[in-house]
Amino acid sequence: MGFLSEAQLSDEFGPFVAFQEAVGFIPNLLQAQTLLPRLIAAQAVLESAMRLREGSIPRAQKERILLSVAADRQDTYCVAVDSKILSSLGLPDRQIDGLLNGGPHADLSAADLASLQFCLKLSRHPPSVCSQDIEALRTCGLGDESIFEAVLVTALAVYRCTLSLGLGPKPDFVPRKLPSTRIDRPRGPASHGLLPDAHQAAQRKGPYLPTPYLSATTFAPFAIVQKTHGFIPNFFRAQTLRPDLLEAELEALGLILLPEDVLTRVQKECILLVVSAANLNSYCVAMHCNMLRGLGMPPEEGDQVSVDHHEADLSESDKALLDFAVKLGTHVPEFSREDVVKLQTLGFTEEQILECVAVTALNNFANTLQMGLGIEPDFAPPQVFQENKVHLSGAALTPMQREGLVHVVNTLQDADVELVALAQGGQLDAFEDLVRRHTQLIYRTLIGILGNPVDAQDAMQDTFLSAFKNIGAFQGRSKFSTWLVTIARNTAFQTLRGRKNVEGLDESEHDENGDFRPRQVRAWQDNPEQSHSKAEIRQLVETGILALPAKYRVVVVLRDIEHLSGDEVARQLGLSVPAVKTRLLRGRLMLREWLSPHLTTSYKGAAQ
Amino acid sequence: MITCDEFFAEFADYLEDQVSPEVRRELDLHLSQCRACHVLYDSSCKTVKIVTESGSFELPQSVSDPIIDRVMAKLRIDRS
Repeated sequence: MGFLSEAQLSDEFGPFVAFQEAVGFIPNLLQAQTLLPRLIAAQAVLESAMRLREGSIPRAQKERILLSVAADRQDTYCVAVDSKILSSLGLPDRQIDGLLNGGPHADLSAADLASLQFCLKLSRHPPSVCSQDIEALRTCGLGDESIFEAVLVTALAVYRCTLSLGLGPKPDFVPRKLPSTRIDRPRGPASHGLLPDAHQAAQRKGPYLPTPYLSATTFAPFAIVQKTHGFIPNFFRAQTLRPDLLEAELEALGLILLPEDVLTRVQKECILLVVSAANLNSYCVAMHCNMLRGLGMPPEEGDQVSVDHHEADLSESDKALLDFAVKLGTHVPEFSREDVVKLQTLGFTEEQILECVAVTALNNFANTLQMGLGIEPDFAPPQVFQENKVHLSGAALTPMQREGLVHVVNTLQDADVELVALAQGGQLDAFEDLVRRHTQLIYRTLIGILGNPVDAQDAMQDTFLSAFKNIGAFQGRSKFSTWLVTIARNTAFQTLRGRKNVEGLDESEHDENGDFRPRQVRAWQDNPEQSHSKAEIRQLVETGILALPAKYRVVVVLRDIEHLSGDEVARQLGLSVPAVKTRLLRGRLMLREWLSPHLTTSYKGAAQ
Repeated sequence: MITCDEFFAEFADYLEDQVSPEVRRELDLHLSQCRACHVLYDSSCKTVKIVTESGSFELPQSVSDPIIDRVMAKLRIDRS
C-alpha cells in the first residue's frame, strides 16, 4: 500500500476497464487514488487522450517521452511502469536502457531525438523554453500538432511523477536501476537550438503554435469555461489546435477542481497559487490571484499568499497544507510519507491529502503546458511577485528568503511611502499633502459608488478623517492609494445603508454578458465631438454615467474617467479582472445607448 | 464566418485591443460583412473616446479646498 488507504472499487469501474484493455493491468498509481474515484477518472481521461490514443506522434515516442521524464526525475515507480509498457510495444531492452542511462540514441530519428531533448528541457526547467526551441523542432521536421502533443505528453509525465511522489504507490513491477544522478541531456543534431536561456525566453512572445478560433457556441466546453471563469483564458485559447485534447483536459480539470466535497475552492486555488509561485510561473500566479479575488479574497491577501503564505491571513493548518503542496510540487527530494503523516496529525483526512496531491499534480501539468506553449498572460501578475522574480531568481527561494519582501517591494513602487511615514509619525502637513494628492481619485470613487455629487463630497470628508484616525494601522501591504480607496468604499457603503435601495458591488452580484444587448443600431456621426461643445459633451457624459447602476458606474468612472488600468480598478474595488471587464463593457454599452440619440447621423441632420 | 453572438462574446477584449491575431482576423472579417456589428463597434469606440476625453467629475479646487481645510482644521483642533 502507498501513503494513503485504498478503497475497494468494482472491476467494472470504467477507468479500470479502460486501463486493463489498453495496457493489460491496472497501475497501482490508480489504486492509490481509490478514496476519490473522480480523481482516477480525471487521470484516465488525460492518459486516454494524450497517451493511449494514436496521435500526430507515434505511440512509442509518447512512451519514450514519459519514460525519459520519469527517469530524469528519478521516479522509480513511473520508470518501472513505462519501461514495461514500452517493452510491450516491442521496444528492445537495449533501447530502453539507453533512454534510462543517457546512452547512445542511434536508433532514434533526428525528429524523435529533438523532440525528446525538448521534452526533457521543458520538464527540467520550463521557464527556459522559448520560441527558438519550437523553431528548432520544426527544422527537424516536426509538425505543429506533433509539437503540441509533445508538450502535452511532457505535462502528463510531470503530472504522473507528482502523483507518484505524493502517493508513494506500491511498485507494479520490479524497479529498474537508475543512474544515481540526473542523466545528461542526450546530444544530437538539434541540441544547439535548445540551449536554456531564461532571459531570452522572457523576451519571446507566444503563443508558439497556431491557435485556430473556437467560440463558446461551436465548442461546448468553452461555454462551461465562460461560466466558471467569467471569460475564456488564453490558457485554453492557446490549445485550440487540438480540440479533442483540450476537451479531455477540461473534463479532467472539472473533475479535480470544481467539486467542493473534500477541499474548498479557496483551498484549491491557494494550492495552485503557491505551487505556481514556487515554479516561477507568473501566468498561473496572475490567474489564481484573480480566481481567489473572484472567490472573495482581498487582492493584497492573494498577493501575500503568492509571495509568502506564512504571513497570510490563513489558518495554521492551511499553511501546513500549502507547505506540503510546495514541497511536493517542487519535487523536493526529501518529500516522504512523513509529510503525509504530519498533515494527518493536523487533522486533515486522507481524502483531503489525496485531493491536495491531485491538485498539486494538476498545477504542475498546467505550469508545464503554459511554459511549453508560450501562453500569453490574460492580466498582469502581482507587482510584488514580478519584483520577486527580478531580485531573487531561482525556484529554490525559501519562505525565509521571501520574508519582508512584500514590504520592500511596495516601498519601491509606492510614491507615497515617505509622506505616509511622516503622517504616521503625527505630521499633519504630510497627511494634508497625501489628501491633496488623492482628492480626485477619492472623489471619483465616491461619486462612482454613490452617484450623487453632494453625497460624494460629504463622504470624502468622512473618508479623510477616518484615514487619519487609522493611518497607524496601514502596514504597506498595498499601495497607500488602494488603502485610501478601501476606506472611501466603506464610507460610501455606510451612506448607502442609510438609503432604501442598496446597490451591491460584490463579485457575487451576477454579471452576464448575454442579458444586455445594445438596441441602438443607427450609425454615429464621424466626429460627434465637433457638433457639440466640450461642456455639452461633458454634461451628457456625466448625466449618462450618473444614471448607470452603481456597479457599472464605479468601474466606468475609475477606468475611463480616472484612467486606471483594468487591473488597478480590480484591485481598488477588490474584484477580479474578468468581473471588471464584464462590468466595464456593460457600462460602456449602456452609456452608448444613452449617447446614441444625441450623436447619431440622423440627430445631426435634425439639428441642422 | 462567425455569428453576431460570437462577435459579441469577444467584444470586450476587441474594444480593448486584447485579442489574439487569430481571433482578430475572425472579428475583422465579421465586421466587414455585418453592418449592425460595425455600427456597434464604431459607436462603442467613439463612446470610449468621448468619455475618456470628457474630463468628467473633476472636482474644482474651489470645492475641494474648503473640504480639505475643514478636515485639517478638525484634525488640528483634535490634536490640541
